[in-house]
Amino acid sequence: MPTDLSAAHKLAAPPRVKRRTLRVIGTDVTLLEGVRQAAIADLQFDIEYESLDFLTCQRRAAMNPEHYDIYEQCFHNLDIVWYWGALQPIDTHRIAEWENIGDLSKLGGVSKYMRQGYGDAPVRKLYVQPDGVIGQQPMRFISMLPTAHNVDSFGFDRRVFGDEGPEGSSWAWLLDKRAKGRIALVDEPAIGLFDAALAAEASGDLSFADIGNMTVDEIDSLMALLETLRQQGFFCDSWKSAQDAEALLHGDKVSAQSMWSPSYGNLGPMQDHFIESVPREGYRAWHGGASLAKHLTGTKLGMAYEYLNWWLTGKAGAIMARQGYYMTVLEKTRQYLSEDEWDYWYEGQIARSDLAGPDGQTVVRKGHRRAGGAYHERVSRIALWNTVMDEYNYAARSWNRFISAVRENRP
Amino acid sequence: MSRSSTLRGQAPLYEVISDILKRNIQSGRLPTGLVLIEGPIARVMMTSRAPVQVALRKLHEEGLIHRFRGRGYLVGAATADIGPIRRPIDEFQLDIPEQSKSSLEVRGTWMRVYDQVEADVAACQVFGEFRLVETELADFLGVSRTVARDVLSRLNERGLIRKGASSHWLAGPLTARVLREKYQLRAIVEPAALLLAADFIEPAEITKVRDEIRQGLTRETDAYEEAFQKHCLERAPNEALVEMIRNNRLLLSSVNEALNRLGLPADHVAIDQYRILFDLIGSRQINSAAEYLKEHLRLLADKNLARLKIVALVPEAEAIPRYLSPL
Repeated sequence: MPTDLSAAHKLAAPPRVKRRTLRVIGTDVTLLEGVRQAAIADLQFDIEYESLDFLTCQRRAAMNPEHYDIYEQCFHNLDIVWYWGALQPIDTHRIAEWENIGDLSKLGGVSKYMRQGYGDAPVRKLYVQPDGVIGQQPMRFISMLPTAHNVDSFGFDRRVFGDEGPEGSSWAWLLDKRAKGRIALVDEPAIGLFDAALAAEASGDLSFADIGNMTVDEIDSLMALLETLRQQGFFCDSWKSAQDAEALLHGDKVSAQSMWSPSYGNLGPMQDHFIESVPREGYRAWHGGASLAKHLTGTKLGMAYEYLNWWLTGKAGAIMARQGYYMTVLEKTRQYLSEDEWDYWYEGQIARSDLAGPDGQTVVRKGHRRAGGAYHERVSRIALWNTVMDEYNYAARSWNRFISAVRENRP
Repeated sequence: MSRSSTLRGQAPLYEVISDILKRNIQSGRLPTGLVLIEGPIARVMMTSRAPVQVALRKLHEEGLIHRFRGRGYLVGAATADIGPIRRPIDEFQLDIPEQSKSSLEVRGTWMRVYDQVEADVAACQVFGEFRLVETELADFLGVSRTVARDVLSRLNERGLIRKGASSHWLAGPLTARVLREKYQLRAIVEPAALLLAADFIEPAEITKVRDEIRQGLTRETDAYEEAFQKHCLERAPNEALVEMIRNNRLLLSSVNEALNRLGLPADHVAIDQYRILFDLIGSRQINSAAEYLKEHLRLLADKNLARLKIVALVPEAEAIPRYLSPL
């Protein structure tokens, strides 16, 4: 007999069921607290997010697969992670919305008449072929579930460059002498290197046979050009996170720089003169997604599929939209956006009211129109995708030397 | 293994090493759970890593040591439930019989030195371009400049280094282009060698390898790659061709080794392909085998190109010796 009555009560208390947990690694592109909370509210388990920088994320995904259940990053990161044997194929028969995922992911362009763009178009890495490689021949099994995506360009100060005019701006402006000393590039060899390459080709300084898979000689020429410009004082800095990019602007350091969608909403009064370019050469695009860790089986695998399917319910799509990213399931996403939001972000219409970002702050003011217009217009103009090209190892090492030199010589 | 480990009339080096290790494991001098890593063992034995690698693989197959989640092997059978013991091997005062000792010592300085330098020079190239200076190499190895020069010219002969514009010796970088070219060359010469070798392949050897694959004894594709080279390609009655194949593979196997050291897991698709390849050879369908080999090499090239990309995320190896200076 227990002498302590409270102990007896404890015995009578209902058993505490420990909620199971799904572990997700990824980057701050998709691992938003709002997404996590919304998913937990809908699913019968907890979700842990571990947000890492781009390079750490792909290295850990490849080399420590036992430490996560879901891997969220981009299709261009897949080569490294897939061929390191860290992931398992996703059965599209278990993805309820698979048929509603758009052609941009499945065909590589919004219609069969559109070219796919250079580099790692998601379709080139999407389907798991019978011999275990990933390729674009449609198959039942896929490597990564396509989710958030966007097209990027660069930002420029229109007090320096003037207005774009009907023909649009040019990537050449990113290495233009009008911005000399006030240029910053994003420090990521699968991204920033291509901003620079597009600029070098647009300016006529260089030309690439296949900008999405450069040769060693082409990489050498590009890095030599960047080094020359660096010595002439063109670059003021480089950045790794969107916050750093915004800080450069707020510190009045830049007149042209690599820039991503969410940042344009955080510029405050500078929105009037620091403009998102609509380059006449086309955009640099990226496509995110979620993959299953190799080790998943049974219940855990079931939870993982639930989470993947949740991504396509539209709620995550709405949160992504408010920072300027698109989702693969348009109609589902539309259900969770107000009419004003949908018309601004997806239809390219003038904002009829102030619009809030993912954390509730106003990111779009009434009367503003999204640079580049509607979804269809913007994704029809993809020049190139973020890419981990064959010579990545070589390119990344030269790129890192260049960036170190830029940062050591910051004014 | 032929060049580095067999000297006329002697047991191959890897056998000497595996005998020494076996003796010390069985006597209990090397405790169950001790972590065995190639490099330190190679230093104690005064050899290159290659024969140590083979010796360890052999002991693994015999069940005396087992793989674990970290680098290297653990002493004891896989069932032994003991955590890894990490202590330097030279603390254990290995019991080395006189005969083995002299067997280790008779290998000439030149050869011992050469294997290690070759392994290091091949391995560094995934990390970029390096310069070698003759005097620094001589200092590092503690040998005369004449020996260093011999080592360098041998490396040059085997295509591992070249003379740069300022007449320095340069190694690397191992780019995707180099990798592609080497696989392309393999796809041209290896099927040809296989056809030439057809009548000289020993069926019993092939049966042995087929059994090993079927029983899943080894999960490392390198072992089958080596078996294919040794029992099939090297049987081709054309020394120049065999030499060319060997040299062409040098850098490729160093890439594999670098990737394995980073923890690349077993490639089941590739193992299946070796099974099919050896089945075709074993049933004397040499033309089909040669065709299949081309397809296998194409796939291997693509996979290795993708895998090599991870090296960009890995900091330059701490193991690069100081006579190699990055450019």
